[in-house]
Parts: sequence; structure tokens; C-alpha cells
Amino acid sequence: MTAAPVLASLADIQCWFQTVITDPASIEAGAARAGSPIASVVDVATAVGADEGLGVYHHAYRSRLVECLADDFPALRYAVGEGAFDELASRYITRHPSRSTSLNGYGGLFESFLRDQAPGLPSFLGDLAALEWSLVEILHAEDAPPLPVDALAKVSPERWTEARFIPSPTLRLRQFDFPVNDFFQAFKDGLSPREPRPALQHLAVYRQGFTLWRMVLRPSMATLLRSFARGVPLGEALSEVERVSTEPLAAADVMAWFSSWVQGGFFQSIELPGAAP
Amino acid sequence: MNRFDLPQLGIGVGLRTAHYQTILSEHPAVDWFEAVSENYMQTKGRPLAILDRIAERYPVVLHGVSLSIGSTSPLDFGYLAELKALRDRVSAPWVSDHLCWTGVLGRNTHDLLPVPFTEETLRHIAARVRVVQDFLESPLVLENVSSYVGFAASQMTEARFLAALAREADCGLLLDVNNVYVSARNHGFDPLDYLRNLPMDRVVQLHVAGHTDYGSVVVDTHVGPVPDPVWRLLDEARALGADAPVLLEWDADIPPFDVVHADALRARARWIEPLGVAS
Repeated sequence: MTAAPVLASLADIQCWFQTVITDPASIEAGAARAGSPIASVVDVATAVGADEGLGVYHHAYRSRLVECLADDFPALRYAVGEGAFDELASRYITRHPSRSTSLNGYGGLFESFLRDQAPGLPSFLGDLAALEWSLVEILHAEDAPPLPVDALAKVSPERWTEARFIPSPTLRLRQFDFPVNDFFQAFKDGLSPREPRPALQHLAVYRQGFTLWRMVLRPSMATLLRSFARGVPLGEALSEVERVSTEPLAAADVMAWFSSWVQGGFFQSIELPGAAP
Repeated sequence: MNRFDLPQLGIGVGLRTAHYQTILSEHPAVDWFEAVSENYMQTKGRPLAILDRIAERYPVVLHGVSLSIGSTSPLDFGYLAELKALRDRVSAPWVSDHLCWTGVLGRNTHDLLPVPFTEETLRHIAARVRVVQDFLESPLVLENVSSYVGFAASQMTEARFLAALAREADCGLLLDVNNVYVSARNHGFDPLDYLRNLPMDRVVQLHVAGHTDYGSVVVDTHVGPVPDPVWRLLDEARALGADAPVLLEWDADIPPFDVVHADALRARARWIEPLGVAS
């Protein structure tokens, strides 16, 4: 029996190496897939055995990405349990290997993976993943100067209906089938929340300066904010709320909402037709 | 002084998220920080705003992990453009990355993978370093990595490869003495022999860190205080002429900032203050 020829070209070695260390099962399975035995690529005469040395890379590849997902989805990890989370994460890594130079966006498909590619999971987990990813998104979203608190007062009342409220890039509006914000808060408080029963929840996730915030929204508030996000002017947006809402809409309530939203930095500007940007 | 006239910044600390609050509120007496470039790329939000604040008060050097200079995949010029913009944004005196590759065929393993030390690899990487340096309009600084395997195809030692690469590409070196220690243990070479083969006038930065000794393999975990054998290797490197700023890395089980800072101050008392270097 003759030894396999040494794999010599840099490109061949790198394809082989990547196949081996990213194999979901083992380095042996990876080497079989890569088509060359370990001894034809790796120097087997070093102090560390070739299998153990490759094993360091094989372990590091998956554990680094699992850790990245665990950092972005801590409440989800608690909800499913550490072992089950790591297993889910490993399947995600196999299906969605990183193709970016940065890990900042690596978990962006985790919610859809849980909903569409991990059958049998409670749909609550998809909602929880969506909430946690919203926090990551606004962490990395570009700051925009918030609308000044007195900006509303500067719009003459006869033009209010035409005003378009431009949302801040650091605002996300989410609708959940489960009260995931309550679950998430309980987790952050060190409690041991259980999977909640279904209940519609609207949430604003936003950042002010360095701080991330969450605000539970009444359905009317969510409808109004979503209309703004679509570029609908205030008058039309309020009509839409009145049309779909089952709760009475008091002018004082709406003013109070706007006050809290402006203070929370939900908007970056008010646009009026014909006004200079 | 190194041949690139890059400044002796003193003793720095690796910038980690866990320490942001302390650094921003207490302004600890640190000579400089090293930021992992990619943590501040593909983001326009809080990480960048915090880095801006830190760069207003401290020198910040950028240390990348995804340049993948050794890869046979094409260089990513979008990445390089973003890196260059970040460097200019924080006025980083230099940009470093690793003598490694991180992926091929469009994938990124986010690991610092070793290259075979062959003439082909040398020509390939030297050409890419020259392209990167032209693009960045500044010297690229490359770090030796810890490794756990060697390649049957290798034709020279890592130290000789690094020396030849630095000469052919005219680049700087970031000498990580912990990585030298780790690789020496794993491959059974003499770390002092390694150091003697490096062109110390090209070393513009040094790294120290902790590692984990599993007996049959030593892993570069950046955990815990810097162990004595690594400090001693740093002594040897300095005795051989590596007069460069030292950076302390601590990445696993990260303690409060004052614990990391204490290790940095230990290094400062040992190397910087006797030299009378102002910082």
C-alpha cells in the first residue's frame, strides 16, 4: 500500500481544511468528504497529534458561532434550554454558514429558521427570537437626531392632518402572538418565566443614545405608528385607526401618545407638503 | 524604534464590550486601546458611537480578524474600504490583522486558520499584502497566529516564512509572544529560535495573553492573567530588539476592568517606565 500524495496547492489545502473543520459530524467524516486522508495534508509528526490539532479547529468553528447566537438570543436560550439551544444553533450554522466578514448580522435568519426549518418548536420561540433580534438591529442602527420635543408645537394646527412623522432608524415595531415582552422582562429580572399562553402583543423596540428600550403598545397606538412607518400623513392615519380600532380614540390620549413617542425619540422629523426638508 | 516610525504607545489593553461602561465613566489610565476592527464594521449604531467616544480620549489601534490575507479567495475590497474609513474615523496609527486565512468559497469560519509555509503561499500572500497596503496607503501589520496543525507541504519554518514575507511585502509585524509559546508547545519548536529568526525592526506591536494548557495541546484562549513563561518570552523579544508597544488581550471569562488593568500596569512597570517613555 502506498501513501497518498501530499496535497500541495494552497487552494486545494484550504478547500480540504475548510471541509474538514466545518463538517457537522467529525473531522474524519469531513476528511472523507474532502477526498484526501488527513496524513496527506497535515504534518503528523508534530507534538500535537493531527486529529487532536484538527479537533481544536473543528470544535472552535461551531462553538464560536453558537456563542455568537447565544449572545444575541439569551432569553431564547433560556426558553429552550442550553443543550437544545446549542443543538438548534448547530443546525442553523450548518444551514446558514457565515458569509460575512462580521458576525454582527449572523443571527438575522435565526427567527425564520426557527419558524420554517425547525418543525415542532412552539411558535412562541419565533416571537421571542424576533424580539431579541429587534434589539440587535436597533443596537446597530444608525443614530438620527431625534425630533425636538417642541417640534409638534411648531406645526400650525390646521396643517397637522398633512404632517408625516418620519420614524427614527432606531425604532422597530413588532406584533407578536405571545406576550414575549413580559417573558423577556421576567428573564432579565432573573425570574424563571414559563412559556406564556397566546395573547396578541404590540411592541415598540427603540434606542435612545446607548440605551435600548421596549414599550408595549395598545393596538391603536400600533396601528397609528405603522401608518407613519408607511408614510401615511396624520389625518389619514387617525382615520385608519378609527376605522379598525375597537377602542375609543380620545384626543387627549393621542396627544399623550405623541408626547411619549417624541420623548422616546421615535421620530426623526415631521414632513409637511411644500415645506423645505 | 521600528523601521516604519510608528509610535511607541506604551502598554495597551484590548477593548472589550464588558468594559465599555468603566472606560467611559472612569477614564482609567491606559496608554492605548486595541479594538477588533470587525466589531465596529457593518454597524452604524452604538458600538461605533462608543468607539468614537473612546477614540476622543485614547489612541486606538485597529486589529482585524477577517482580512483573510492568506485565503485563495479574492480580496474583499468592500471590506477594505470600510476598514480604511474606520481607521481614518478613529485616527488609528496602524491597522493589523493575522497571517492566516478565515475561509474560502464565500464562507467565513471566523477562525484564524494556518497556512502551509511554502514558496507558493509566500508569493501569494506577499502579492496580496502589497495590494492591501496600496489600498490602505499605509503599512499592514501582520500577527503570527497560534496553530494546532502543521502541513505536510510546508517547506520552511513559520519564523522564516514571516521574515521572508515581511521583507518581500515590506509590511510590519505584530509579534504575539503568547502565540509563539502556544505554537512552540504544540509543534515542538524552540520559541527562542523562532524569535531569533524574526526581523525585530519590523515589529511594531507586541501581544501578550493567557492560554490554556490541556497537557497534550495548548490552546490560545486569552484567559486569565498573562502567565510567567509568556512574560519571559516578551523579555526575550525585547532583548532581541522588539521595542514596540505591548497589548494585553483577555477574552475569556473577562473579569472587571481593574483586574485586566492591573496586569497591564504590571507590564508597564516592567518595560515602559524603566525606559522613561512618555505616554
